[in-house]
Amino acid sequence: MTKTLDAITDRLLRLSGVAIFLLLWETAPRVGWIDPYFAPPFTTVLRAFGRLAEEGTLASHLLVSAWRGLSGLAVAVAIGVPAGFLLGRRFPRVGAALEPLLQLLSQVNPFTLLPLFLLFFGIGETAKVAVIGWVSLWPILFYTVTAVRTVDPLLVKTARALGVGGVELYRTVLFPGGLPTIFTGVRIGTGLVFFMLVAAEMLGANAGVGWLVHNSAMNFQIPQLYAGAAAIIFLGYALNRGLLTLEQGLFDWREAPSEAVSGRPARPALRPGKGGVVLVAVLLALLFVVGGWETRRVNLAAVSGGHSHHGTHGPPTPERVEEEKRLEQELNGWDPFADGGKSK
Amino acid sequence: MKQGIPIIGAIPLVLFLALWELLPHTGIVDPVFLPPLSAVVENIAGLWQGGDLQTHALVSLQRALGGFLAAVVLGLPLGLVVGGWFPRLQAALEPLMELFAQTNPVVLFHIIILFLGIGEGAKTFIIGWLCLWPVAFSAMNGVRNADPLLIKAARSLGIGRLKLFVSVVLPSAAPLIFAGLRLSAGYAFIMLVAAEMMGASSGLGWLVIQAQESYHVARIFAGAAVITGLALSVDGVLKLIGGWLAPVRETKENQPLGIAACNDNRRDR
Repeated sequence: MTKTLDAITDRLLRLSGVAIFLLLWETAPRVGWIDPYFAPPFTTVLRAFGRLAEEGTLASHLLVSAWRGLSGLAVAVAIGVPAGFLLGRRFPRVGAALEPLLQLLSQVNPFTLLPLFLLFFGIGETAKVAVIGWVSLWPILFYTVTAVRTVDPLLVKTARALGVGGVELYRTVLFPGGLPTIFTGVRIGTGLVFFMLVAAEMLGANAGVGWLVHNSAMNFQIPQLYAGAAAIIFLGYALNRGLLTLEQGLFDWREAPSEAVSGRPARPALRPGKGGVVLVAVLLALLFVVGGWETRRVNLAAVSGGHSHHGTHGPPTPERVEEEKRLEQELNGWDPFADGGKSK
Repeated sequence: MKQGIPIIGAIPLVLFLALWELLPHTGIVDPVFLPPLSAVVENIAGLWQGGDLQTHALVSLQRALGGFLAAVVLGLPLGLVVGGWFPRLQAALEPLMELFAQTNPVVLFHIIILFLGIGEGAKTFIIGWLCLWPVAFSAMNGVRNADPLLIKAARSLGIGRLKLFVSVVLPSAAPLIFAGLRLSAGYAFIMLVAAEMMGASSGLGWLVIQAQESYHVARIFAGAAVITGLALSVDGVLKLIGGWLAPVRETKENQPLGIAACNDNRRDR
């Protein structure tokens, strides 16, 4: 009895921080501690969120963003995992030789690459997918290399002794053995995808959740800005938590030192059968197809409508950039020299 | 992945640079899109001689360092104190902190601009915000994961609370803390460039955006190279200090630089 009570208090305690934060968010603007124009109360934001959801705008933006994220991630996995196996196992000397170069490339600031990718691929979808793929490629590649290198040599030797070799060895020993670590790489890559996606959509797009926030900010639709931001933050959080839970559930045969220390019981294992895996794959594929269709529709509408905020057609001309800048400053009353007059 | 770079590691690097130089020259790649290495180096030299490079690099470094130091000054005590002395407070704060750590900084930047304007304040704030969480989480986890055997042994020898903290807990947490610091420094540079691209009139990120708008491709590459070099040197310095102050037990090499990596700390729970 006391045990359940303890668990409940623990739960409540863990929720209290977030609850107090939300309560403050609701009351501070109402009481006048902060300007309600800049920080609308939580319920106002919820209402803006409800309106976006009702109009179907939010769903459309989410679909577009999901498609971009999934495409980038798919590219990264398709390149990173095979490359990781090749560099980590098949050609270890090549892997060792290439490592400094790959490390250097992975350290290149993704934001400085964005202009280059826009230059190479134009301002369409390819540039965004490319930069997202680039960012998530590195954790996936490096974790895969580490994964194949750290597969228990005993298992490999045993398999060898039993006459398993070639592709069969990869399929039955190396891939399953490395999967937990590869999954960690994919999870970290997904986090980066989410981060970069929003940034890329802000710097040049006409749809997507990042664009929604950016556009709301430019037009001073503050509650909508908060609603979009909250949606992104919640999604990022949920995605990370979900992947973490999945990872712990799927690969719980891996070391779990914390459980030994904390004395908490191990979580029940997730053991999806073939059906579960197929279901997830089908859902992802469906999301990909619907998202792709929606992205195409949005882009076509932008081209034919001709009133997009950040045009999708052609590279940005200096005039248009100037014009946009002027407009942004007018709208927001930003002082371009607020930098302390360092501008030239 | 071993520490000491084998000599053969230099071969692909040199090959990469040679290809960068040769491909545009031979016309296999359009030199308009990919200027040869020499043109980029020339551009860097030109910027340096004009004094632009130093000015912008200095401005950028100031911003990054300001945010980073603010994060260290706030995050380290937060993580150490909350992680070390107030387990209940930590239980209450951790979900909120995790939520904050997950907050997409680019999105948050728009909200911060509402309050602070587009000036230096907003940039320093967002860099500091992003850097704060790896520092705080690593300090918290460092304290929490201190070897209980050592603590018990020290206790049984009659050590005081403060002494215990300074001479047992802190040293055993130091490697993790330094790992958090390095992660933060990486974030500082990523966010710095983003913030400078979204609204600034100086700094290396601005230099790159400016080059993009005027189709000065060699300068984009030059800016990107300088930013990468700067980030790598700062990371190198931190690594050096860390290795000197907190000689590390073997850690996982190859920790990819990543926004999500800080949440990895949670795995220890």
